[in-house]
Amino acid sequence: MGPPPAELPLNAMAVSVPKLTVGELVEVDGRRYEVVPTRDGELTLEPPITPMDELHAIDGTKPASAEDFERLSGDVPYDDEG
Amino acid sequence: MSATGGGGLSAEIVFGLRAWEEEVERYHPFSPPRARAQNARKMIEAGKQGLAWINCKPDGPVPLRGCRKLYVPLGKQAPSEAPYGFVFLLVQHKDGSLAWSFIAFGERHPSNPKTRNVYERAYKRINGHYPG
Repeated sequence: MGPPPAELPLNAMAVSVPKLTVGELVEVDGRRYEVVPTRDGELTLEPPITPMDELHAIDGTKPASAEDFERLSGDVPYDDEG
Repeated sequence: MSATGGGGLSAEIVFGLRAWEEEVERYHPFSPPRARAQNARKMIEAGKQGLAWINCKPDGPVPLRGCRKLYVPLGKQAPSEAPYGFVFLLVQHKDGSLAWSFIAFGERHPSNPKTRNVYERAYKRINGHYPG
């Protein structure tokens, strides 16, 4: 007869749950996800969309001026969506 | 490939690696949206077809200032024929040259109400969060 099983401490079964907020990134199985709000006010995880500020830093660009946009696009039409 | 505006001003069209991965390669390799995006990009870069540019609205429900769009497949307009869209933002390089930088691809009118449309994705890339 072996020794009696050691008693587990009470908190041994407690699971540490990370607390996340909107905009935070998490990694699941090597893939990155961002916490984002849904239309109905819930939260979900989706692959991140790198913000333009970060892409400007990578590409060495900056936002063009409104005047340049107008010069290039003044004669381009609009439509009813987006 | 470049797009010329009034007064002869022109801007090249740029598909950055990161944005392309996040917008197009999120779809399965053999899925219709990814295939259509890849085909449209090839046609744009080949420069053999006139592009039906449309300005994005700076003051709509999803305001996109400084942006233009192309419907995909190229050359189609109606959502039933061109269910996807590319959105480009006008940017300036350090040397002063201008470029239309690809920032979003997705459905124009998703049938799944939980799916964000291409304009919401573009808004999030510019502003860091979804509209509303």
